[in-house]
Amino acid sequence: MRYGSFTALNQFSCEIPEGSTGLLGPNGAGKTTLIKTLLGFVRPETGAGEVFGLDITKGERRLRQLIGLMPEQDCHIPGMSGVGFVAFAGELAGMPAADALRRAHEVLEYCGLGEARYRNVETYSTGMKQRIKLAQALVHGPKLLLLDEPTNGLDPAGREDMLDLVRTVSHGGGLSVLVSSHVLPDIERVCDRVIVVMKGQLRAAGTIAELKKLAGHPVDVELKELNPAFNRALIEDGMTVLPGARTTIRVQANASPAEIHLRVQRIARTTKTQVRGFRVAERSLEEAFLEVLQA
Amino acid sequence: MTPNPTGPIADLRYRNYDGKLLPPNQMWWVIARQSIAQALKKKSLWFLMAASGWYYIIMIIILFFVEQNAAGSEMAKVAMEQFLEGIVWKDQFLNGFVFAQLSLLLVTLMIGSGTIANDNRANALLVYLSKPCSKLDYLVGKWIGVFLPLFVLLGTPTLLFYVYGALTFSQYGFISADPWILPKMVVVVAISAAIHSSLIVGVSSLFNQGRLAGATYAGIYFLSNFFTVLMSFFFQFSKGKAPDAVQYLTYASIDGIQTGIAKAILNTKGSPPFGFMPRNPATPIPAPNLTVALLLTGLVCAVALFAAWRRVRAVEVIG
Repeated sequence: MRYGSFTALNQFSCEIPEGSTGLLGPNGAGKTTLIKTLLGFVRPETGAGEVFGLDITKGERRLRQLIGLMPEQDCHIPGMSGVGFVAFAGELAGMPAADALRRAHEVLEYCGLGEARYRNVETYSTGMKQRIKLAQALVHGPKLLLLDEPTNGLDPAGREDMLDLVRTVSHGGGLSVLVSSHVLPDIERVCDRVIVVMKGQLRAAGTIAELKKLAGHPVDVELKELNPAFNRALIEDGMTVLPGARTTIRVQANASPAEIHLRVQRIARTTKTQVRGFRVAERSLEEAFLEVLQA
Repeated sequence: MTPNPTGPIADLRYRNYDGKLLPPNQMWWVIARQSIAQALKKKSLWFLMAASGWYYIIMIIILFFVEQNAAGSEMAKVAMEQFLEGIVWKDQFLNGFVFAQLSLLLVTLMIGSGTIANDNRANALLVYLSKPCSKLDYLVGKWIGVFLPLFVLLGTPTLLFYVYGALTFSQYGFISADPWILPKMVVVVAISAAIHSSLIVGVSSLFNQGRLAGATYAGIYFLSNFFTVLMSFFFQFSKGKAPDAVQYLTYASIDGIQTGIAKAILNTKGSPPFGFMPRNPATPIPAPNLTVALLLTGLVCAVALFAAWRRVRAVEVIG
């Protein structure tokens, strides 16, 4: 997808299954462009794309009936009450007026704005504005929900509430949710899968667990206290030992985690070392993200 | 059925909507309806709507009393007939239309100045355009949302006066003088509402605040009007012998062009209001050429709407 001399998205193809998918990438990577392109806000000079089998370059209206957008910036229709705004958004999406009003009440209740539904949207706080943006995106029952920085400007409690909302909507609601955010803990909390974009190209896609997995199945062994004899025995047994945090060591061998577990237990018994924990080592999402970008 | 006392009073779990979605073909009407509903909430709009027909109301009152008085004596009846002979009915429609212009401007400012400017301020375009609603739907909806109230504002008093005149004064040439007066007035009113709607939608799209858009539109309206009033004075001063250019420049304003088109459609030069005949009547300014006036007005309106078309977008596109 090119705009003038700028290539926004290049050979980009991804699948967004039911559930929640995080969209990660540094500034200018093409995250927002991807969202805008999916909605047909920007018309590419070259290239093609499909969502739900519909051509995104034609700006088909039917496509936007299947998508809900919660934009990053504040947006509302001036002079309307909360329920009026959400019902109007429903009507704009093609809902019959009566259905739109009933659904607007439901969605506002769900988003925690039941008490404030008759207030003018312009009097809402930042947190309430974020919630009503989610409500207007959900009202027509989209199959794909695009959330651009959903926790922007929220206080810690508001952020927690918003993440809970997104999590429950995306799990069991029968819709796919794409969450674009710079806040990796938010993504980790809400999403099962991630897509990493850089310079308009897809760099990685998969579950968060896969992305965090380290090569060679290293395991972290937590000991009561560090024991040099234990480390030596592990090395003699053909394993690599790396120091970890406090009394934890990272052990790696050309074997499965289950086999390593058995060998570590045997050596611990012989060297009289107390093992308090054993888990497959993984990176943080931040480390994984940075590694993907540097690759 | 016995209600379960331990059950929840409402199931607040999230459920996706799986009801009917209509084909997204008439989103412009959804937008227009919402714009009109918001406009009708303004109480001052109702006052201005009533006030816009003041010329017709006074004319009806005058005609009513003249007619009632005539029933009393033969002399009064003769006087009434003389009065009615001096009245050019289509000029009463023209005067009613011209004297409603200020109300029309105020209503245009009230409902039109923020129509796109307020949406720009609140990023509402993201909401509109992320739904199955095109830029054309949005602009047409906003245009109709201004046009219809203006059409009703001008059309209702005109229709009332026509009905009163047709029922009471048909024997005095109310209908026979120009049988097509009603359709002609519908066209005049529609053109006038269309001019205001197109210009205010264009101006509104250029701003992020309704007040600024309104001030700009009012500024253009009054400055151009001041210019045409000057031209009218010049025309009067020259006793109608001014060059044709001056004659046409008397219509070179938002207000003036509407009067000019109305004169051309009604085929009249106009006459003093309420049928009064002053001793030294002003030289009537002839109507402009209708085709030229419509073409020029259409061009200006098209430029305004094109500006709106260029300005309305959900996002800034990287060049």
